[in-house]
Amino acid sequence: MAAIGFGYAMLLFVACLMAGLRQQMVESGTDLVLSDAEVHAPSYYPDRPINQTLGGRDGTDVSALVAAIAADARVEAASPRVYGYGLVSAAHQSAGAQLLGVVPAQEQKITVLQRRMVKGSYLTGRIPKGVVMGDKLATTIGVEVGSEIVLLTPATDGSTGNDLYTVVGMFHTGLDAMDRDLVLMSIASLQDLLRLSPGRIHEVGIKLHDNDFTAATKTAAALETQLSKSFPVRVRAWPELVPELADYVQFNRRVTFILFLIFFLLAVMGIVNTTLMAIVARTRELGMLLAVGMRPVQLVGLIVAEAAILAGGSLVLGAALGSPVLWYLQIHGLYLGGSRGAISLGGVVVGPLWYGRQDFAAYTQAALGLAVTAVVSALYPALRAARFRPTEALRKV
Amino acid sequence: MRWQKGSVAICLALIWVSLGQVSQAADDQRAREIVDGVARLFVSQSSIATVEMQVTKEELQRKITMQFWSVGETNILIRVRSPQEDAGTAILKTGGKIWYYLPKANRTVKIPASMMMSPWMGSDFTLNDLVKQSRLTNDYVIATSFDGERDGVALSEYTLTPKPSAVVVWGKITLEVRHADHMPVRQRYYDEDGKLVRELTFSEYKTVSGRLIPTRLVMRPTGQTVEQTTITYEKIIFGESISAETFSRKNLKQ
Amino acid sequence: MVGVLLLVKIGWRNLWRNPRGTLLTALALGLGLTLLLISLGLLDGSHEQLVRNAVRFGTGHVVIQAQGYQDTGSLELLLPAQVVSTTGEFMHGEAMKHVLRGMSPRLLASGLLSSAANASGVSMMGVNPKEERAVSLIPQRIVEGNYLNDDQQSGVVIGAELARKLAVKVGGKVVLMTQAVQAPATEATDADEGEMQSTLLRVNGIFRTGIQAIDAHVIHLPLPEAQGLLGVPDRVNQVAVLLEREGDSLMVARSLRKQLTGLPVEVLTWRESMPTLAQSFVLDEAFNYVMNGVVLAMVGLGILNTILMRVLERRYEFGLCSAMGLRPVQLAVMVIGESLALTAISLALGLVLGLGAQHYFATAGLDLRWFFKSSLPSALVFDPVIYSRLSVARIASSVSTVFLTATAISFYPALKAARTELPGALRVF
Repeated sequence: MAAIGFGYAMLLFVACLMAGLRQQMVESGTDLVLSDAEVHAPSYYPDRPINQTLGGRDGTDVSALVAAIAADARVEAASPRVYGYGLVSAAHQSAGAQLLGVVPAQEQKITVLQRRMVKGSYLTGRIPKGVVMGDKLATTIGVEVGSEIVLLTPATDGSTGNDLYTVVGMFHTGLDAMDRDLVLMSIASLQDLLRLSPGRIHEVGIKLHDNDFTAATKTAAALETQLSKSFPVRVRAWPELVPELADYVQFNRRVTFILFLIFFLLAVMGIVNTTLMAIVARTRELGMLLAVGMRPVQLVGLIVAEAAILAGGSLVLGAALGSPVLWYLQIHGLYLGGSRGAISLGGVVVGPLWYGRQDFAAYTQAALGLAVTAVVSALYPALRAARFRPTEALRKV
Repeated sequence: MRWQKGSVAICLALIWVSLGQVSQAADDQRAREIVDGVARLFVSQSSIATVEMQVTKEELQRKITMQFWSVGETNILIRVRSPQEDAGTAILKTGGKIWYYLPKANRTVKIPASMMMSPWMGSDFTLNDLVKQSRLTNDYVIATSFDGERDGVALSEYTLTPKPSAVVVWGKITLEVRHADHMPVRQRYYDEDGKLVRELTFSEYKTVSGRLIPTRLVMRPTGQTVEQTTITYEKIIFGESISAETFSRKNLKQ
Repeated sequence: MVGVLLLVKIGWRNLWRNPRGTLLTALALGLGLTLLLISLGLLDGSHEQLVRNAVRFGTGHVVIQAQGYQDTGSLELLLPAQVVSTTGEFMHGEAMKHVLRGMSPRLLASGLLSSAANASGVSMMGVNPKEERAVSLIPQRIVEGNYLNDDQQSGVVIGAELARKLAVKVGGKVVLMTQAVQAPATEATDADEGEMQSTLLRVNGIFRTGIQAIDAHVIHLPLPEAQGLLGVPDRVNQVAVLLEREGDSLMVARSLRKQLTGLPVEVLTWRESMPTLAQSFVLDEAFNYVMNGVVLAMVGLGILNTILMRVLERRYEFGLCSAMGLRPVQLAVMVIGESLALTAISLALGLVLGLGAQHYFATAGLDLRWFFKSSLPSALVFDPVIYSRLSVARIASSVSTVFLTATAISFYPALKAARTELPGALRVF
């Protein structure tokens, strides 16, 4: 009984950690800028022509659109964005960069770039023409917090948009593409620069409650159907935006599945062993029952029934034991501490907590598997026991 | 991205490059001379011009008026006069570098070489071409492909095929030149599959400073019924001396 | 006084009183070790695979660059001329050649690639095709045309996204424009820019990696051609080294640093040159540790269970022994002796099976596509076959851990045996 119970508890533990791992893996790839899903006008991605705004050239009611998306139960938060590409110029040097216009309050709900600030601060409303840029970009053009820069970019009306901005902060992500190439600013100031009316945006970034591969893709498809009723859109979930991350997650998923199978096998072996032993130990008792008149079929039935009840009880016990641990894992995580060895990560702080996540599908599958195993493993010795000659059985000591 | 249609400097580069690329080769001596003559139409010791550029795209129409000064092919200054939002913007190309003056920000920005090469600046007709076009010579083999009348005009059509090692993206270029005055009528650019990519039309021929030149050029990418760029020379003077001061950064700001 | 040796002998014989039972039990325990070995092999192998796939799109396990290149990416920072030859000699030498999988000298720069239809900024890489093939994954992702030939003078390989944007096909013309390397900038003056150079290239092949950034921006061309374009004959700015085993990265980096002392270079492991990649693997590595622990726990429990059962069901026998004069301590020793013997047999069986299975997976590999036919991304970025990797150290530590665990665990049942109570144990019913 203990074998089954404990085995099940271990399986729960492993499944919980594996699910948590998958989610964290995805997050680490999407939480800086990408977010879980993005909404675009149909011809916008991947070339990003600046006039391809949501809702066409007339744009749309942005807050209504964002609210409509956020209202969906699967969506945690949504935020509007505008993109451009232009020249960032300081006193002595210039460099090309991607410009991203956001609404800071909403953006911080879907991404975590604000946690990577190394100098100055993230965008606040206080300085309307304030910008935040990657630290490597700042070094290349030679600016500090407080420096003035010029942004130069082709605008949608064909003119050359240009204006002065102030550097309010710098971030460091460790990702070259961002640290060298990205400038964040308020959505309104970028729209001004690009000559876009306030109703015209390029993208709505979405954070989902469940960023699992299949769940995210399904949610994206559902959102696309729903939003397309107003005007044509394409909603892409992260597997489509970063297929290499999807690949990595799937790869990992398969490997952990194999491991799960192995654990399952171990648990099964334990159970088979125990059940076998338990029945062998009861040889005399079983022999007695036969001698007293129980029919072999009934004996088998008895043993199997016992095994089933025992299995059921053990599973419940295992679940009971495991639940507090699972709950703890989800809320507090597993502290990894020094188990990561000597890994220098270039100044990026890595959370030492590994959060678990409930994977009820896995839990149920494991339970069923174990129960079936327990019953089946009782079958062989049960059948053998049924063939005992009562006298021989009684003689066994 | 088709920024060549929107950016001021690019459209000017367009004129320079399209004609500058056309150069001689061994084949047809007469043809070579004529084509060369066309190429040198806008090249001179110095020129001062007032130019109007009209950009038409499906969602916008822009008319830009500018003044430009040039000495040879190395020094060019462009000042935008209208429309209002771009007025005062100036571009200076000198010594292989390009500077932008932005009146709104009151700043002079150097366009780095890498920016001249970055995607949003667009196709061959980039600022970069202003820098390197003076080295494009001897890139094409010239042959006469048509001699006769088209649309009531007696002209010859020359087909320019790039030499194997020529650093050009075109499959071929055809140039129609009038018999009467050796004025260009039409220039067509083809890719290697023989597909027409864009077409440049010349018209409104006037005599300026003793030269006959077409004062209206229309560039149209193929497949576009609406998109095109028209450049009209309202005024152009050749040969007048321009001080070196003109091509200084200080001068940029005025 | 019955000697310890005799007790152990008795213990051994006890095992064989029921040969089938014993063997089955040994098998069960042995399988525990087998599964442990398999899972360790797969974990290590998959980790190895992941890292290798990722670094093959980047700078390999170890990269050598001019000092400061990692931070600035400045084109002026080239590797001193002798670095490539010194590194080459060293890595192909006796000491290192068995850990080396490939090394490739590269010249990286940015440029503009134009076609008749369009133009786009690109990251160009001048490479030696033969050597690059051993390091990068791009040569294996060609979808149209071919990768560069070994002695090809001129040509370019571009990504599918770039080909689409420029509307070019294999054999088509493109012009690459770039800036020659120039003198460094000083504080007072602006950087003096090098001349713009351009060259005509024909598209030799088109690749698709599935990674947007690569497919839209990376191009490969022959190294001499790139060097000519940038005006730096015989120079490179990066040497990427790919190893057989990720675990050797630190060692190789250290050795290379020693070989290249005095030169203004930086030798970085992939964790340093691609820190975000390292970060994404932290979870993966932590996972390995935890999983190892879990497997050990489960195996330990299995052992405990088995041995405990064996003791509990032989109460009568122990009672008899006790009645015949065996002291509790001696009973305990006997049980421990049995356990040790059983463990030894199990380990032997487990090891044989485990190493056999591991060898199969190490050579034939485990094709993950078997398991997940559905929900496969359309463009598979990573190689879906895992090759099991098991180092001698791992095997040794697994075996010894299982052995020690088994021994430690057997103390409990031994204790129980020692405390066999008479006359309770002798009662048959």
